Amino acid sequence: MSLLKLENITKRFGGLVAVDRVSLEIKSGESIGIVGPNGSGKTTLFNVISGVFFPEEGKVIFDGQDITTLPPYKRAPLGIGRTFQISRPFHSATVRENIAVGAMFGTLSGKVSVDESLDIADYIIERVGIKEHRDKPAGTLTPVEKKLMEIGRALAMKPRILLMDEAMAGMHPNDIDEMVGFIKKIAEEEKIAIVAMVEHIMRAVIGIAEKVIVLHQGAKLVDAPTKEALEDPKVVEVYLGQPQDARRWIKYWQQEE
Amino acid sequence: MRNELEKYYPLIPVFAAYLAMFLIGKNVTGMWQLMGMLAFYCALGQAFNIFLGMTGYVDFGYVAFMGVGTYGMALGITRLAHIEGLGVVIIIIGFILSLLMSTMLSIAVGAVALRLRGAYFAIATIGVNEGFRYLIEGARIWNGSEGMIFNAQLNQILGREAASALSTFWADIMVLIIAALAAFVTLYYMRSKIGYALTALREDEDAAKVMGINVTKYKIIAFITSACFAGLLGAVSWALKTPYVFPPEVFEIHYTVEAIIIVLLGGAGTLLGPVAGGLIYGISKYYLSIILPGFQLLIFAPIIIIIIILFPEGVVGMLKSKVKDSALARFII
Repeated sequence: MSLLKLENITKRFGGLVAVDRVSLEIKSGESIGIVGPNGSGKTTLFNVISGVFFPEEGKVIFDGQDITTLPPYKRAPLGIGRTFQISRPFHSATVRENIAVGAMFGTLSGKVSVDESLDIADYIIERVGIKEHRDKPAGTLTPVEKKLMEIGRALAMKPRILLMDEAMAGMHPNDIDEMVGFIKKIAEEEKIAIVAMVEHIMRAVIGIAEKVIVLHQGAKLVDAPTKEALEDPKVVEVYLGQPQDARRWIKYWQQEE
Repeated sequence: MRNELEKYYPLIPVFAAYLAMFLIGKNVTGMWQLMGMLAFYCALGQAFNIFLGMTGYVDFGYVAFMGVGTYGMALGITRLAHIEGLGVVIIIIGFILSLLMSTMLSIAVGAVALRLRGAYFAIATIGVNEGFRYLIEGARIWNGSEGMIFNAQLNQILGREAASALSTFWADIMVLIIAALAAFVTLYYMRSKIGYALTALREDEDAAKVMGINVTKYKIIAFITSACFAGLLGAVSWALKTPYVFPPEVFEIHYTVEAIIIVLLGGAGTLLGPVAGGLIYGISKYYLSIILPGFQLLIFAPIIIIIIILFPEGVVGMLKSKVKDSALARFII
């Protein structure tokens, strides 16, 4: 059975169709990548899944339950965790407190006490490898540490699906490889489905995702196993333009010189 | 068990400050009035901090809660004074009325305005106190613009001597108790889930939402709590201390502005901040008006600007980061 199912999701902002009849299905424990150039509707799609926006049309079904119009704070405890494109830590709170918030409010029972949450936070801080920053205010971390903290915060919610919005943007390639390994390991051990959204760091997608969905101008362009999808001529065109166009431009520039 | 107690260590400096105010006022001749004023500012800051400091939302209509609290006590006294033998019970009923009325108003305002974000919330609350004032005056509710004077009733209930002791001594003690209670509730919130939720929503409301926090619920909790303390404070320092109430005086936005200054001076969201802010604000206001009568505001404004620029996180915010790794850190939050 599928864990998350989107049925013909359409989200408009005034006249702009940000997401155009997108359907997709993610099974429990599966990892998929959502790829697309800037403005292709990736973040909007994430916001529809996590409840920040409600779609105009279509349905969001999580674990058999229709959650299309459920407010975000009720979705999180069901097991939908997410990280943000630009990290959004609670700056003045310590790393430990940030992660404890996830455990406190993000689990289904809702009965995790403050002390228990702080214990869970200690365990997770160790797992994500930012132990030395435990008592620092989250605002003082480096961007990479902030990303790790955000992942930790999401993990504390015991997610069944983790939506990662550009988790690796701006990272050094070595860090990316390390992060990919870490995410894969966590996903396997905790049986979390991963939806990784990426604009152009294909290295990350190839490492994590078994399947890739390419979005273009809000609509689904390709939905296929990772390697196949990234080599699809339509995808290449979306990213690089048509080969004959490219040749014509090069010629034009040469003449200018 | 020791751990449980240790959680409440930060109350020690706060309570010590309030105790010091009491002792100075009691033992140094001529100081009682000043200490009463300082206690009022500290209590005002401590109460407002629960909302402004912990949520980061600015309520410009805050004084309205003090206003309806004052009316609650006034109504209790004026409407029940003729019943023989109730005595102090009337005052207790007055407190209950104050709490009820400030709670009801905060639910009404909060249910509408707390759905708005940041600056929009602040704008929506600007008119609350003025609106309420004109409602009372225009619709002639509770004597309208004539207000209520209940000196006689208070004398009748408690006897002349006790009534005068109440307004010159016990009312100030009650203000100190309200301040201490507000400090205790602040710390209790900080240590509980409520505090974590409020910190999260203050820093990033959207992130808080997708992490499972019902932000509206927690904002309303902080709002109502803060409003209740404002109601009690109004009942004590504006009804029991000075037994009359006029709409223009108790719905004066000036007090909201003072509360904002106190909280920001001391350090928004800190426990000790309102005490520091209340003392700095109260003492400088008092002495400036003695040294430079008429010019106090002219001098006062730059002083506040300088403090805010030097300590953007407030005096206690600065202190907190100074003592971060020392033994004092357990006492100052």
